[in-house]
Amino acid sequence: MSFLAIYWILLKATVTTFSGLGSLPVIRQELVLQRHVVTDEQLNTAVVIGRTTPGPIGLYVVSVGYYAAGMKGAAAGWLALVTPALAIPLMLRLIGRRADHPRTKQVMEAIVVSSTGLLFAAAIPLARDSLTDAIAIGIAILTVALMISKKADSLAIIGGAALISILAAAAHLSGYAVR
Amino acid sequence: MNRPKVRDIAGVFGRYGNLTFGGGVATIGVLRHEIETKRGWIDSDQFQLCYGLCRLTPGTNLLAFCTAVGWLGRGWFGGLVALLAASVPCSAVVAVATMAFEIWTRNPWAKVALHGALAAAVGLVVFTCWSLIATNIRRSNWIRVTLLFGGAIALQEFAGMSPIQILLLCAGVAAILPLEKRR
Repeated sequence: MSFLAIYWILLKATVTTFSGLGSLPVIRQELVLQRHVVTDEQLNTAVVIGRTTPGPIGLYVVSVGYYAAGMKGAAAGWLALVTPALAIPLMLRLIGRRADHPRTKQVMEAIVVSSTGLLFAAAIPLARDSLTDAIAIGIAILTVALMISKKADSLAIIGGAALISILAAAAHLSGYAVR
Repeated sequence: MNRPKVRDIAGVFGRYGNLTFGGGVATIGVLRHEIETKRGWIDSDQFQLCYGLCRLTPGTNLLAFCTAVGWLGRGWFGGLVALLAASVPCSAVVAVATMAFEIWTRNPWAKVALHGALAAAVGLVVFTCWSLIATNIRRSNWIRVTLLFGGAIALQEFAGMSPIQILLLCAGVAAILPLEKRR
């Protein structure tokens, strides 16, 4: 894929969402389902990388770009990530204090809620690919519980999940054997 | 207010925009302390304005926030410097980490570790959904939230609409619906 093609796809994903992982449904639709240049596993791995490295969660787009086309894809991912931010000086001039208008807030809220629905729909096939045994299902449930209770950060959770998976495979408890 | 130097903008956003774990909200908390409390680049009202508008800007809120503060301090050049400082180093780390993952995951034990990490990633996506809904749902709007959430899923899964079409449709519906009466 060309730099411009990846940039355009990833820009469509970042410019139509308002949260870190909100761009995931558009990316999955375009790169996994339509063009087959990224797999569900790579997309999930990109999410892991985005959550285990410092900086905003939306950085996983850089990783997705790399999986689609190597370093030029990563560069396109970075450019798609930063492009929407260039709109804020214009918004500071145009909208300013009108950002608090109830109608503006209602529209923004609708976009966030509906993009959450799309994110949930995108999580289903990711879960189908990753939650293939009882240990993996347990890890996913524990992750949600720990995040809600705020008792651990995402980096520690992902590290702990990797360790549990290794220990379970070593003890032959996991359906995911070492081969 | 203290007008920041461009190199200070690069230094602060380079350091705190790239080295904080916990996502955008946690990083903005750290940055607020640095730029408002400690250095006085912006006041509380300007912070509220930048924060509110960065939530309205598509894409990554943190990068929009950094750009806004840089722009307030030093115009377009300051905004661009803040954006580059907050995004280039961490993006390079992600690109290198992705390369390392490709090599690392050829090891069978690393594959097992990744299997566990991917299961956790699914949990993190579900948690993200939960936290986004939890911050937007109230007694006065739970029917709307349920319909928008379920409707978006149904339109994608059963009507075959693209995510962008669905988001535009939902935004259009919200624009013409009567304003919510908050209790």
